[in-house]
Amino acid sequence: MSTSHFVPAPWVPKAKWKTAGLLVPSLLLCSAVSAGPRRQEQHFKVAAHPVITIHNPNGLITVKAWTKTEVMVISTPASDRIEVDAEQMGNRVDVSTRELSDSVAPDDMRADFQINVPEDAELQIHNDAGNVSVANVLGDMNVETVAAGVDLEDAAGYLTVKTVGGSFTCMRCAGRIEASSISGNFRLLDLRSYHVWAQTSSGNILFNGEFLPNGTYSLKNYSGVIEVRFSPGDSFDLSATSLKGKVNNEAKLTPSAHQHHFMPRWGNALFGTFNEGRAKIEMTSFDGTINILKRD
Amino acid sequence: MATITCREFLAYLEPWMEGERPQDAQAHLRTCRHCSSVVSDLELIHTQARSWNTAEQEAPERVWTSLRAQLEQEGLIRETIPASEDRARDVAQAGAPRAGWFRTLFPRVPRPVLAGAYLAALVAVAFALSGPVNKRVNEARWLKGTQTSTSPLSAQLDFAEQNSNSYVTRGNPAVTASLHQNLALVDKYIALCEKSVNEEPQNEVARDYLYEAYQQKADLLTQMTERGENVQ
Repeated sequence: MSTSHFVPAPWVPKAKWKTAGLLVPSLLLCSAVSAGPRRQEQHFKVAAHPVITIHNPNGLITVKAWTKTEVMVISTPASDRIEVDAEQMGNRVDVSTRELSDSVAPDDMRADFQINVPEDAELQIHNDAGNVSVANVLGDMNVETVAAGVDLEDAAGYLTVKTVGGSFTCMRCAGRIEASSISGNFRLLDLRSYHVWAQTSSGNILFNGEFLPNGTYSLKNYSGVIEVRFSPGDSFDLSATSLKGKVNNEAKLTPSAHQHHFMPRWGNALFGTFNEGRAKIEMTSFDGTINILKRD
Repeated sequence: MATITCREFLAYLEPWMEGERPQDAQAHLRTCRHCSSVVSDLELIHTQARSWNTAEQEAPERVWTSLRAQLEQEGLIRETIPASEDRARDVAQAGAPRAGWFRTLFPRVPRPVLAGAYLAALVAVAFALSGPVNKRVNEARWLKGTQTSTSPLSAQLDFAEQNSNSYVTRGNPAVTASLHQNLALVDKYIALCEKSVNEEPQNEVARDYLYEAYQQKADLLTQMTERGENVQ
């Protein structure tokens, strides 16, 4: 069951209104309303663990969790040459942007979204350009972009993010994180994840979070900087290898008793255990720099 | 013809290296991969040793004198033949079969001692050469293996790249630019990884990065093609 409302976006009058006649401005107003962005709001009642899929070529997508058992989709297309479809199939809501004619200019193929979902919702988002922002959603999530950045806050579940050039920031995330990119930078802040796999080619990777017992943290890039911050109370088994770059370490590591690393014959490598070695950290770079630094 | 055993073949090893090729030894080598491999290795070592600079491998006379004195002191050489007797023996041996290359090197050293010294020297030389030789052989194998696996892939990716370039021209300029920039980036990494692999074919880290770069390029081209199909 869904309900929808079409709300014309506010149109700002110009100073010339005062001197213009009645007919002309009325026509102008009608024209402006029809050609301007059409804000569309739709509501869908859902059960537990709904799935929401979003396919959009370009635009800002903001998803937030709320306490209602419904999904609200507010979309704002950039032009009337495209249309946003939102439809419900069982416990799944599919949102997509499509062109209404074959001659749509690339700039017109843009729509912004504000979407509210139950916190246990599962998200599948595909957005080539613009930005994707998700907050407080605890279900599994898959986000794919080309140039769009991805910002996740207070997310959990199984999070997979794949970009080509877009950056990825994950703040206070939990669960399992897998992120890959070619040139995007990764910022993993205040994490409480037991499994992190992050790989970018030319981007930087910053990990500043907890190393949970039995957690595995794999950070890999080609160039750029991989930086890990640790606290005195952390406990991890560490392996850091940069084939042609540097490894800078501030942690007092001890040789691991339960370590099975083979010392690599190439590059700069560092192996060791910090405290009891409960978590496992692997960092690999081709010619980038790896920094293992104390947390401020 | 009854073939000899590997243990028996060992007795033929030294004559074999001197050029003697008894038929039973030849027959054994044809059927025994192990002995054949040993002979191949020894011949390789021998070839390598001969390729060394003559000045480097020719030990000074004092070394032989010192070595001989040491062998005599340890009782390994029991007879000392006077020079005149030595010359007489040389004359007597003139009509005899050619002496072995080790025999001519150490004419006065008893044959068992000579054989032991020969084996010890072989082991030493083998150890000395096995590293570089095996390294070169392995590197060549690794390089060939890597090239064999990546060359068709590279060709296919180049072909796909040519096709996908025409697809994405109508897409969002920002997306198209990002795809092309990142494709150039991946191409650059592929070139750098290939260079590293060529320099160090056994470097598994470089190989992993190379394969991953190819994978990234394939993914990227797939995306470009899909987008091209979408906009057409």
